[in-house]
Amino acid sequence: MSGYVQEFTKGLWKENPVFKMVLGLCPLLAVTNTAINGIAMGVASTFVLVCSNTVVASLRSIIPDKVRIPSFIIVIASFVTIVDLSMNAWAHQLHKTLGLFIPLIVVNCLILGRSEAFASRNPVLRSLVDGIGMGVGFTFALFLLGAVREVLGSGKLFGYEVLGGAYNDVLVMILPPGAFLATGVLLGLFNYIESKRGV
Amino acid sequence: MTSTWRLVAVLSGICAVAGLALAGVYEVTKEPIAYQKKLEVIRSLEAVLPGLDTDPDSYFLDMQREDGSEVRVFRSPAEDGNAVAGAAFQVVAPDGYSGNIFIMMGVFPDGKLGGIEILSHAETPGLGNLIEDESWKGIFKGRSLDDTNFKVKKDGGDIDQLTGATISPRAVSGAVEKGLIWFKDNRDAVLDASVGEKPASTFGETS
Repeated sequence: MSGYVQEFTKGLWKENPVFKMVLGLCPLLAVTNTAINGIAMGVASTFVLVCSNTVVASLRSIIPDKVRIPSFIIVIASFVTIVDLSMNAWAHQLHKTLGLFIPLIVVNCLILGRSEAFASRNPVLRSLVDGIGMGVGFTFALFLLGAVREVLGSGKLFGYEVLGGAYNDVLVMILPPGAFLATGVLLGLFNYIESKRGV
Repeated sequence: MTSTWRLVAVLSGICAVAGLALAGVYEVTKEPIAYQKKLEVIRSLEAVLPGLDTDPDSYFLDMQREDGSEVRVFRSPAEDGNAVAGAAFQVVAPDGYSGNIFIMMGVFPDGKLGGIEILSHAETPGLGNLIEDESWKGIFKGRSLDDTNFKVKKDGGDIDQLTGATISPRAVSGAVEKGLIWFKDNRDAVLDASVGEKPASTFGETS
């Protein structure tokens, strides 16, 4: 049992996909101008990650080594299309905001990376837990970045004023350069905490 | 040889299952997606033709602009059904700061604007995207070619530009002016109640 817990928690901190492995930066930089966008992107990616990890793990003994990458990509692309269509139907506004970046989950190296490095070598349940852990870690990172950028860039969080009218919006934070600035600072902060813990 | 066949068989199998699954999801989501798209049009029509019955599926008129581009004119019938009470159509501002700005505009028969709605754009967040604000879109309400110079104030006109963003308002206002001129030139055709899709019998239930 403790093995599963560890499989889950490693995605949150020790092997956090964004802060530790620096994976999946394309959607990270592109859609995190608000906290809600970050969470939506994270949840969509988590769904794809968990489903593809599970399917890949259950097919791992059938799929020949030579065609494993195309097989993984078909599995991932199918789940991404399912997410894309479902969001368009039932979360239309969010789908409009995230736009092109939903289909682009296909090329998120985090997802193919987990299929290749983990799910293709581990049992189904373990891969499922790994997918959830990595997904939650990814969502956490996207949310954190989105929240920081939204608060600094527009003085709001989830659309509500939090810094008051006197605050002067730092517009650059919700523009693309702000994504790089915030990511850099957060990465630095993360590594600083790590070094203090004496790892 | 057998191993090659195995590769083909496995990959084909996975593709077949994926294809089936996607076909299923597509069937399930087709209706809701179409409904959401329609809802979007209805919302924009309600915004630009306030107080009028609007149903995007009936009483519209497909026309052609001088440059050959197609334009669908959504129309609201007057109460007695024999006249057009308002018309709404889409215009494009190609000269925004970043890509095309799509605008829905509503016009009453007397040439006055019912309002404008920004359908989609890619202007800078925090600057150009303020064209989406009600307070800015609202300044178009009730204006017409007779009483308004559709240039921004910086260019000597009547339309407020936005702090730090002149290009986006200039583009939107220019497109709206062009739309009004087009309406003026084609007024008789647009307001001809005898042509185009007839109002459906269920008319008005959408509002």
